[in-house]
Amino acid sequence: MDEKFDCIIVGAGVAGLAAAMILARNNMKFLLIEKGEFAGSKNVSGGVLWGSDLARLVPEYWQEEDGGWERFINHRRLTFLDEQSAFSIDFKSSHFNETPYSGVVVLRSKFDRWLAEKVQNAIDESDFAMESFIATNIKVDEVLMENDKAVGIRTGEEEFSADSVIIAEGVNNLLTRQVGLQNDYVPADHILTGIKEVIRFDQKVLEDRFQLNGLSGMSNEFVGYATDGVEGGGFLYTNRDTISLGLVAGIKDMREKEKSPHDLLNNFKMHPVIKDILQDGEIVEYSAHAVSSGDKRVMPREVYKDGVLLCGEAANLLMNAGKAIQGMDYAMRSGILAAETIVEAKEQADYSSQTLKQYKQKLQGSYVMKDINSFQDAVHMLHNPTMYQDMPNLICDFGRKFFTIDNEPTKKSRNLLSESVKKHSSYWDLMKIGFKGAKSL
Amino acid sequence: MSTLLAHIAISDGKVKRSSLEVLSHLRQQADEHGHSVAAVIIDPDADSYTGEVQKYGPSTIYTISDSIFENHRNTPLLRALNKVIDEVDPYLFAFASTEGTKDILGALAANQQAAVLSDVSAFELTGNGITATRPVMAAKILSENEAEGDRILVSVRSGSYELQEQDTDAEVIALDFSMEESDIKAKLKEIIGTSGDKIDLSEAETIVAAGRGAKDEEGQELIQELASTLNAGIGASRALTEAGVIDPSLQIGQTGKVVSPQLYIAVGISGAIQHVAGMANSKVIVAINKDPDAPIFDIADYGIVGDLYKVLPPFIEELRKIKS
Amino acid sequence: MKFYVCIKQVPDVNAPIQIKNGELIQDTDRMILNAYDASAVEEALVLTEEHGGEVEVVLVGPDKATETIRKALAMGADKATHIRTSGDEAYDSASYAHILATFFQDKEYDIISCGKQSQDTDAGLTGGMLAEHLDLPYATNAVGLSIEDSKLIVKRQGDTGQEMIALPTPSLVTCSNDMNEPRIPSLKGIMQSKRKPVESVEIADLDVEENKLKSKTKVTGYREKPEREAGQKFEGEPEEIAQKVAQLLDEEANVV
Ligand SMILES: Cc1cc2nc3c(=O)[nH]c(=O)nc-3n(C[C@H](O)[C@H](O)[C@H](O)COP(=O)(O)OP(=O)(O)OC[C@H]3O[C@@H](n4cnc5c(N)ncnc54)[C@H](O)[C@@H]3O)c2cc1C
Ligand SMILES: Cc1cc2nc3c(=O)[nH]c(=O)nc-3n(C[C@H](O)[C@H](O)[C@H](O)COP(=O)(O)OP(=O)(O)OC[C@H]3O[C@@H](n4cnc5c(N)ncnc54)[C@H](O)[C@@H]3O)c2cc1C
Ligand SMILES: Nc1ncnc2c1ncn2[C@@H]1O[C@H](COP(=O)(O)O)[C@@H](O)[C@H]1O
Repeated sequence: MDEKFDCIIVGAGVAGLAAAMILARNNMKFLLIEKGEFAGSKNVSGGVLWGSDLARLVPEYWQEEDGGWERFINHRRLTFLDEQSAFSIDFKSSHFNETPYSGVVVLRSKFDRWLAEKVQNAIDESDFAMESFIATNIKVDEVLMENDKAVGIRTGEEEFSADSVIIAEGVNNLLTRQVGLQNDYVPADHILTGIKEVIRFDQKVLEDRFQLNGLSGMSNEFVGYATDGVEGGGFLYTNRDTISLGLVAGIKDMREKEKSPHDLLNNFKMHPVIKDILQDGEIVEYSAHAVSSGDKRVMPREVYKDGVLLCGEAANLLMNAGKAIQGMDYAMRSGILAAETIVEAKEQADYSSQTLKQYKQKLQGSYVMKDINSFQDAVHMLHNPTMYQDMPNLICDFGRKFFTIDNEPTKKSRNLLSESVKKHSSYWDLMKIGFKGAKSL
Repeated sequence: MSTLLAHIAISDGKVKRSSLEVLSHLRQQADEHGHSVAAVIIDPDADSYTGEVQKYGPSTIYTISDSIFENHRNTPLLRALNKVIDEVDPYLFAFASTEGTKDILGALAANQQAAVLSDVSAFELTGNGITATRPVMAAKILSENEAEGDRILVSVRSGSYELQEQDTDAEVIALDFSMEESDIKAKLKEIIGTSGDKIDLSEAETIVAAGRGAKDEEGQELIQELASTLNAGIGASRALTEAGVIDPSLQIGQTGKVVSPQLYIAVGISGAIQHVAGMANSKVIVAINKDPDAPIFDIADYGIVGDLYKVLPPFIEELRKIKS
Repeated sequence: MKFYVCIKQVPDVNAPIQIKNGELIQDTDRMILNAYDASAVEEALVLTEEHGGEVEVVLVGPDKATETIRKALAMGADKATHIRTSGDEAYDSASYAHILATFFQDKEYDIISCGKQSQDTDAGLTGGMLAEHLDLPYATNAVGLSIEDSKLIVKRQGDTGQEMIALPTPSLVTCSNDMNEPRIPSLKGIMQSKRKPVESVEIADLDVEENKLKSKTKVTGYREKPEREAGQKFEGEPEEIAQKVAQLLDEEANVV
């Protein structure tokens, strides 16, 4: 076919869909290609979509009776686990009840498909209602390059030309490597694996157990025994009548400690505190997916080149600095920025890196790169065993002593703390961590 | 008092057990609700089966004997069934859910303007029709249904009811029937691979079913050996019928047959819901699969995790010992 | 030859479902082209590619079923008719057969193909009913189709073997998914599908007799199947576990 598109987007995940929405709104002629049977069919997130960018794509999405999202977050909890105990920092506030929400829980197979429908509506209303497409069940095999400039894509025997290609292919970024923006080799300690179960409850039971009101929801992150000594952490998010429970764990560390993701998750679920939470739940879905580490050192060497822009996790835009995994929101924002750059490129009729480098500037100026840059230390710190082993143990140990009343003379908490510290760590280590922590957060 | 009529299917010169299951259930329903039960046999030798059918309690047996019924063909069968309905005026006409039944049920219902429920696993008479249970969503769940009207057709999955003998002195009434070959527009040209003396899967007590894991020659030989040791029927998953390794009539599942043997041994079958749809009612299920997470293990009474090429030989040998 | 293929949009049986107060709830309301109909479309395409002709798909269903029509067009069907319903009606196979029969009344065609059954309900009735209403010779459960001397040769799966049946035209056939592997639409196919003609017919405009639309059967509720518990699972030395299970079949289960 000799029709040429303004842009071809590879991947209908959060990043690709966000980009497509902006292109449709700006009357661009584009193709969004997804290899899954439908948008979201194989995509996995925990998943809280943080921030308010969703409202930019689907204004007043909260008005929809049965939108693509599950619950908004007004209750957050960070839990330290040792083998028997849980010590939580818990924050709930009606401040978070206001729209646009600052975080919504989503189930990707539903959310992505819903967002794809919204994009389709935007296409239908655009000047290219008949010429722009969302095509699923099609895998892009190659980005076609001429003189090191992207000129289209190939799928099977078919080739399609375009002035630009947005690569939004997610963490397994083969095309990103094919166009030469990343090395073929990514060290294993920079890849994590995420596993997750969706567990169903009677809706009333769920709402009572987590003190949910209407569509309010809770997010809970876990550090420590959740991953049984393996680098990583756990999460629990409330959906309408299910919870998403899972772990993100370092592949290399897991391999070294001879643990499988499945074992880890089962171990996590058997923790006495977690077990109580899960009572009477029924597993309805199990999924696993790679996650990038958010370490800047494995980022592609550039996020643009002639005719090409990279967004979302394909560009390793992800952060896990301890208090939440942020990947979808980065994907969304970078998708929006990439598409806006393409719109400008079309206006200037110049898709060379000269124009496209504005994308990088936009990204650098946004919270995405600002946060990634300023929280790198926190990311590195999370690789430190003290953080996912000693620290949670210490905290729980302190907690146990602090909350024990046993008809003996009560020790001052300062003394309790020093006992716990001695048992699990040294002051020196702790000071180092504390100092680093204060600096990195 | 109305008449409940059972269709009696004949296959390979034998009365289909599933038809007698249906007849048994009709007898029980008739007793409960004060109706009478009749049966109809349509076959070149219809009369030779009345003795056996009589054992399951019909008060009347209608027969239509004509050489035109030598092989299953929908046009003459429909003509005959419509005639029977005109003659007998049954309130309920029940069939075993065979391929033959599936071929005519919709057209018969349309012709008779009857309410119809196909492939039910249970049904009961009510004041003005029936309620019935049907497995749906690839037999993952059950739906409850109602059919209302003064003529109801229903077809019943094999294995849904137990046989219950109740010998009667049934009156046998032969109905006139004639039809010209030239009235049949759909011409039957050839029949390929009738099972002959093979075991009818829908009635088999023991079934050995082979899946993709047993695709090659060695696998097939082991399957044959296991089946002959247990005197079992051989069935297959779609992976093997599709690949042409096993005759398509032996496919078990949503597209294939529904079976309910005492013992079902699934060899190298993953347990996709569409396969399970056809065999979940087996009494005892054994699964042999090298993947410990294969879904078939979720429904197996005995799961053997291992390579079938290593597991089957000692398994067969041990069974032989037990048998002898 | 002119083929009409009746296609239906059905819920994806592989997607998670639950039952709440007797009602069936799909976690994602994901709807797909009935697998048996996809095979019918595929076969019609193959035959018209070989012998010439046209393939038109007909679907009775709500607005959102357009997606399914596009899928068939993307596979290669030439055009489509969408008979629109509100989606709230409790139609059974008989209702759909009446609607389709009314639609076909004044149409010309050689072959009408249907799926042998709906993937979600496994009813398997519509095809036969439609043939009866239109007074067409028909064959069900086709596992192979070919055209010889302007006759449709149907290989159908019977109870024991396969029957080869020659159907004159016009006639009707219902298709099993055992006859082919439906093609996955190419990107070009997907792009072209948008420009192919889809005629939209309101069900009210069809003038189907009101009393014929009223279903004589209805679903009153759903429930779980009695759960089949996983039994014992044996791992270890093949020799040992094979013997163990054989013995258990004899002594514990009493089935050999
Ligand atoms: C267990 C787990 C929990 C997580 N929790 C959270 C969380 O709570 N909050 C959060 O913000 N993030 C979370 N993340 C991270 C988040 O899921 C990702 O960062 C996000 O999905 C990235 O979006 P994306 O659009 O870049 O990529 P993806 O969502 O991966 O989308 C990429 C798409 O491209 C398609 N594709 C790939 N290659 C091709 C090709 N060649 N041709 C056509 N299509 C192609 C894929 O099928 C896919 O649909 C979690 C991840 C995991 C695994
Ligand atoms: C509408 C529809 C209707 C369908 N109807 C039917 C139907 O009626 N019947 C049916 O069967 N399918 C049906 N299917 C297809 C079904 O979904 C599956 O694709 C099919 O059942 C898979 O067959 P399988 O288990 O043999 O193959 P696979 O799923 O490929 O499984 C093969 C199994 O063999 C195991 N294995 C491999 N090698 C060995 C070894 N050496 N030792 C031990 N184990 C080994 C593997 O671990 C695997 O679990 C239908 C599908 C659709 C969409
Ligand atoms: N709403 C519908 N629109 C078009 N075809 C239909 C419809 N319902 C049933 N059919 C056809 O009938 C077949 C299924 O019949 P049944 O199993 O009785 O539902 C399908 O494979 C279609 O070919």
